[in-house]
Amino acid sequence: MKMESVKIAPEEKVRKKPSFLKPWMSLKYLFKKPVTIKIPYEETQIAEKYRGFHTLNWKTCIGCNMCGQICPARAIEMTWIEGEKRPHPKIDYGRCTFCQFCVDVCPTNALGHVEHYILTTEWKDEELELFDWVPLPEEMVRKFSDYRHPLAKIEKYEDGRVKYVLRDGSEFEFKILGYGLKPPAAAKPKPAAKSAEKKEEPNPGEKKE
Amino acid sequence: MVTQEELIREARENGMELLPLEKDTYELFFGPQHMATENYSLILKMDGHRVVKAIANPGFLHRGFEKLAEYRPWHTNIALLLRICVPEPDVPEAIYSMAVDELMGWEVPERAQWIRTTVLEMARVSAYLFWMMGLSFKLGVYTAGQWAAAYRERFMALFEELTGARVYHIYTIPGGVRRDIPGDKWLRQLRDTVEYIKDKLKDFDNLVFENYITYRRLEGIGVMDKKFALNEGVTGPNLRATGVPYDVRRADPYLLYPELDFEVPVLKEGDALARALVRRFEFEQDLYILEQLLDMGPPSGPYKVDHPSLKALPRFRVPAGDAFAHVEATKGDFGAYVVSDGGNKPYRVQIRGPSIAHGIRVIEQLLVGARLADVPVILMSLDNCPPDIDR
Ligand code: SF4
Ligand code: SF4
Repeated sequence: MKMESVKIAPEEKVRKKPSFLKPWMSLKYLFKKPVTIKIPYEETQIAEKYRGFHTLNWKTCIGCNMCGQICPARAIEMTWIEGEKRPHPKIDYGRCTFCQFCVDVCPTNALGHVEHYILTTEWKDEELELFDWVPLPEEMVRKFSDYRHPLAKIEKYEDGRVKYVLRDGSEFEFKILGYGLKPPAAAKPKPAAKSAEKKEEPNPGEKKE
Repeated sequence: MVTQEELIREARENGMELLPLEKDTYELFFGPQHMATENYSLILKMDGHRVVKAIANPGFLHRGFEKLAEYRPWHTNIALLLRICVPEPDVPEAIYSMAVDELMGWEVPERAQWIRTTVLEMARVSAYLFWMMGLSFKLGVYTAGQWAAAYRERFMALFEELTGARVYHIYTIPGGVRRDIPGDKWLRQLRDTVEYIKDKLKDFDNLVFENYITYRRLEGIGVMDKKFALNEGVTGPNLRATGVPYDVRRADPYLLYPELDFEVPVLKEGDALARALVRRFEFEQDLYILEQLLDMGPPSGPYKVDHPSLKALPRFRVPAGDAFAHVEATKGDFGAYVVSDGGNKPYRVQIRGPSIAHGIRVIEQLLVGARLADVPVILMSLDNCPPDIDR
């Protein structure tokens, strides 16, 4: 090894001299303004392309499960939705690490992300449920500029129908037929029971490889 | 009546350890909720306010990183391994990526090398600021600690702009980096920040590193000599403070470091003061390195390797073989040994963390005879990263 090429700093440059007086010079900061940002009363500027919540273009998602395979936290579950030919990813923010590898691998760029990042809740069950969702298209998420989750409420019905109520009152309704990589056997009779039993399977994304 | 020996034997049979009580000493559980230890814990046998014996009691942050890494595709491991060192997550990212690059036989594009070097140096600067915050808090100079936290925030903002996250950047990937530099504005901001911190370093010197009280607190505690340090595998600033000029950036250069000019500080005492002064000088040198990098400017070209296997990450495969890469982190020599059997997941990932060397055997030795008030200061002067000890 090229040990001789190491440039060693002269010792007197590394050493300092103890002093009684110098610490007092810091008192000048008494007359300066504090740098503290008083959150939540003050706004902070979030960087463009900050890795926050996901968005999904339902039209271009081809249900390839690439996102489910790359996810390090196994937060993605493929969800079959009535009227859609291919399954769409459902993301559980209780597990997500916001690494956004899923966005990187998506072959059709259907999955994207916005800067919204606020995950705080008051720890109520119905609030926590909001963070396990099939992402909505970007224009519906971007409407809200306060960095919070776009949903106000998720209403679930017996027959598998799910209604997303956004914070501005608009609604988005669809019907979940089941979860997993394979399409649910028969889409017609009592899908509610089926979706319940499908849910118990371990994440199918990891079984494929 | 059950005797003490019987109890000890019974505990040992059940995989536990009971320490016999002694008449003159008492046992003190130091951490894991003590602020100085950062989720790391020590069992101290105390005689009055002197430590008679220190026993490391780690494991509160154990996640089994290395085993988990064997079950995840190559790229997703980045999102896992960076958690080994919270103050400078870019280091585990970089070593893992460098090892995988070597296995793939990739020559990383120049622009990516420049970005990686810059990110590593920024990580070093912000980790040193984090350390200054810790040290000042432990010395009781809370003012300087608050400053360091505020200045580190500037680097977090820069990281946020560059990588899209503040703490866990998940930025360096095999083959390069994930995003390009967000334009010249970012480079200007970085230069301004470096200038600003350089200016503020004088205030830190005044309040911490040239403060008479700091000298009284740090001088002569936690002394280790050269032979002990070399035997125990001590690296980084802790080793340089005992008089060994070993720096991975010079001994086994990587990325752009052969082209960069910087001085390696070496002191002989091996006490907490020497370690603090070495760190302070390195902090200054890192700012100087960042300036040099900015003067060089990022070379033009792609920021990651153009390879078809990077298009479908879950199917990314690495040819069979093994590789080792290490970098100089603020904690010491950080290395990753990666073995591939040709599959889409690593066969084995072994991390050589510096803190595991400093945090168990060395700390147990250094604390013997120390005063209780010096325990947090000695811990901080070693600058451990508890997740690395527990791994
Ligand atoms: S979001 Fe993208 S990666 Fe995920 S299933 Fe749809 S098309 Fe595939
Ligand atoms: S951003 Fe979340 S859902 Fe996407 S891959 Fe990372 S952990 Fe999984």
